[in-house]
Amino acid sequence: MREGNQENVESIIEKYPKKESAALPVMQLIQEENGNQLDAAGVEEAARALGMSKSRIYGIATYYTMFNTRPVGKYHLQVDTCVPGFLHGADEIVKHLEQTLGISVGETTADDLFTLSTVQDLASCATGPVIQVNDRYFENMTIEKTDELIEALRQGKEPDNDTSMTVVSECGILLNDRTQADCRTLDFYKRNGGYQALAKALSMQPADIVNEVKDAQIRGRGGAGFPAGAKWSFLPKDDPRPVYLICNADEGEPGTFKDRQIMEFNPHLVIEGIAISAYAIGAAQAFIYIRGEFTWIADILEAAIEAAKADGQLDHVDIIVHRGAGSYVCGEETALIESIEGKRGNPRSKPPFPANIGLYGCPTVVNNVETLASVPYIVRHGAETFKQIGIPNNYGPKIFGVSGHVNTPGVFEYPLGTPLKTILDAAGGVKGKMKGVIVGGLSVPILTAAEAEGLSLDYDSCQKAGTSLGSGGIIVVNDSVSIPELALRTIEFYHHESCGQCVPCREGSLVVESKLRALVEGRGTREDIDLVLQLCGTIRGLTLCPTGEAFSMPIQAMVTKFRPEFEALIQQ
Amino acid sequence: MKKTIFIDGMAVAFDGEKTVLQIARENGIYIPTLCYHPKLGPAGMCRVCVVEVDGMRALQTSCSLMATDGMRIQTASPGVIEARKMVVNLLLANGNHDCLSCEVNGDCELQDAAYHLGIERPAFLVEEQAERDTSAAFIMRDPNKCILCGRCIEGCNRMVVNEVLDFGLRGGHTKVICDADVPMGQSTCVQCGECVQLCPVGALIDKKGIGQARAWEVEKVRTTCPYCGVGCQLELHVKGDQIIRVTGIDGAQPNQGHLCVKGRYGYDFIYSDDRLTTPLIREADGFREATWDEALDLVADKFSQIIAESGPDAIAGVSCARSTNEDSYNMQKLMRGVIGTNNIDHCART
Repeated sequence: MREGNQENVESIIEKYPKKESAALPVMQLIQEENGNQLDAAGVEEAARALGMSKSRIYGIATYYTMFNTRPVGKYHLQVDTCVPGFLHGADEIVKHLEQTLGISVGETTADDLFTLSTVQDLASCATGPVIQVNDRYFENMTIEKTDELIEALRQGKEPDNDTSMTVVSECGILLNDRTQADCRTLDFYKRNGGYQALAKALSMQPADIVNEVKDAQIRGRGGAGFPAGAKWSFLPKDDPRPVYLICNADEGEPGTFKDRQIMEFNPHLVIEGIAISAYAIGAAQAFIYIRGEFTWIADILEAAIEAAKADGQLDHVDIIVHRGAGSYVCGEETALIESIEGKRGNPRSKPPFPANIGLYGCPTVVNNVETLASVPYIVRHGAETFKQIGIPNNYGPKIFGVSGHVNTPGVFEYPLGTPLKTILDAAGGVKGKMKGVIVGGLSVPILTAAEAEGLSLDYDSCQKAGTSLGSGGIIVVNDSVSIPELALRTIEFYHHESCGQCVPCREGSLVVESKLRALVEGRGTREDIDLVLQLCGTIRGLTLCPTGEAFSMPIQAMVTKFRPEFEALIQQ
Repeated sequence: MKKTIFIDGMAVAFDGEKTVLQIARENGIYIPTLCYHPKLGPAGMCRVCVVEVDGMRALQTSCSLMATDGMRIQTASPGVIEARKMVVNLLLANGNHDCLSCEVNGDCELQDAAYHLGIERPAFLVEEQAERDTSAAFIMRDPNKCILCGRCIEGCNRMVVNEVLDFGLRGGHTKVICDADVPMGQSTCVQCGECVQLCPVGALIDKKGIGQARAWEVEKVRTTCPYCGVGCQLELHVKGDQIIRVTGIDGAQPNQGHLCVKGRYGYDFIYSDDRLTTPLIREADGFREATWDEALDLVADKFSQIIAESGPDAIAGVSCARSTNEDSYNMQKLMRGVIGTNNIDHCART
């Protein structure tokens, strides 16, 4: 163990109920202190500190994308080329960087200053293209700004990040006024009525809070739309085991960048939501599982938790901010639980469900950030007031993120049931002619422009339209885009992110990717199109977790709805 | 209380808590499996054991599905067959599944599944090749045949707790690693061979048997391992008078199929020309063959002579690690009661 590390490692381990949960943070620390690399010695150091085998540590290190088992340059340039980034011109940035630096993707410059990589989805969809340099984001990049960035880095300077985008909040519940310099402070939050809901909640019976949330009929905002109150009520009664609450802040669905808006600018709202919910379900230990790339947001949350603690708001619950390390699948609740337990983020077979056997084998509730952030409003104003927002069976405010081909991309907090047109207008309207729109993050079937006509953005209407509201990440595609290329970009994401456990997802995504690539490159046949459709049809519902469906449905929709574009690529 | 499920319309009674797969197997109904092994329990990873259940929307993995009274199962509906075919075809689509020359031809669960489903050749191909790992003394690893079922990893970590194997990388790049992804021969692996025995395909192979015999040519002979007092139960796979490989007997006491490197791979001594077949008595510069009576009489005489000349404490006994507890007990009895000394020890202590 390197000098000074021992103490830090021990203090990390102490934070957790179980030692192995410290695996990711300990490995992150060792990597950070070893020039951004987790080499063989680092793996051994982590294994020794955590009492785990080397193979298990290495297995974790190579599961998550943020660990570098091979050396990287001083500045690791990571360009997000996933679908929203692709639509915003990320490929041009990559090409330009390759030319400027004289290296290809995956290589390091001779002076060891720069390593260039492409990465999958950094949740900066409206502010793309984005380049992540080590753990800092540089958003809204252009060719010129990329040149400036490289020049600054060469001189050892780091320019400011341009995070500008459109922010509209009609509801004013989840998004606060981020133009105020002190918007994320405890003072600001309390001045605007913050923590009053918690005070009210602590004077209520926990069961009454659960009933209030049930009555509000709030549907989970992570993507599945499952009623949050019902999820809470699945917890076993009079069980001697501890109950855990986990806030899912893994925001990794391409097209989605809503949770970070709440956490970064309104962190106390999330913390108050967690504090109330933990009290309601009887959890003394809560976690915020935040995606590893959001380092600065994790810092903001940790600072806010400290402030709330000092203010006496968190006497009944301890909140640990647990940083992921680069994995889409960890947004799935059982994979997330595995990840907190210090394992590869492989989803578990269900049943059992987390409500009964979750974290450390104990009853566990996993709720999305936006869901938990809605709880203070429900408790403070009552379920009936909450239900004034939205439409029947789809109540409350929802943050929609709009990226792709609109004039002013950004985030928009509107009631559920708002017409798609209203949101697109708020985003400055479609740039060019709309070819299709994905309304719920990349995992949902694309709608053609005609199908999207008159669509209302709520769970039921989207389902009726043959798609899903998912996370509310709206990706607009205009007629300059080739759908086969979009499909290839889509499957590349899922193939890259598949955990690799079950055959239909691991091998299925590989075969679908290879066939779509053959088509895009002019090597494909009509049989390839049929095979892709046949595979997608069979994979759906056959996989261990929802990831199989997450790629089979959108690919199936793209191929079916835009088949002539795929057929046009076949060389006669 | 007896409960009943209906498998393909046939009523099948069962007791207690059982999975659909267990009940099907007990009743001779074939459901292909790849990642499931009775010793390791359900993994739910390969998805080849799926069945259709009345009232459930998606196909269910029979290895993890607990049977409930009155449940109705279809094991061969068109949807089930299509799903299984796709899984097997996906596994055959890349790698190197060449049964003709494979060591486990005839003893391969992937081959069984393909045969059962009538898959003669893969429906589609996406070729990707990786290198074989031949670095270890007794085990060869062929990633091109690996179906990533995880059985070897479970065995290594949960059964024998050597903690050498794990999954590395992710998604389509996932592979089985030794330690921090070093060749097996450079890893902390002790070559117990548990992983080879659990492998459903030809991805982990006993090197010593390569090219020696096909699965159907060998006769299996049950015996007790001669190495130590534990008495592990094993099977010798014999062709002619040659041992081709050794496997532990699953479900048999005391070893439940586990073996150590000696028991599994250390059988060459039986063919050694140096092996003793009669007692030898040293005379002048060499040895001469003798009968047991003659040899034992000589030893007894020498002991008596030493005791007479120097007293019993001039003799010490060391019991061997290959003896059983009972043998070691008798050894100390001999030393204390017959020779008359407390000089008795065991080689494991020295």
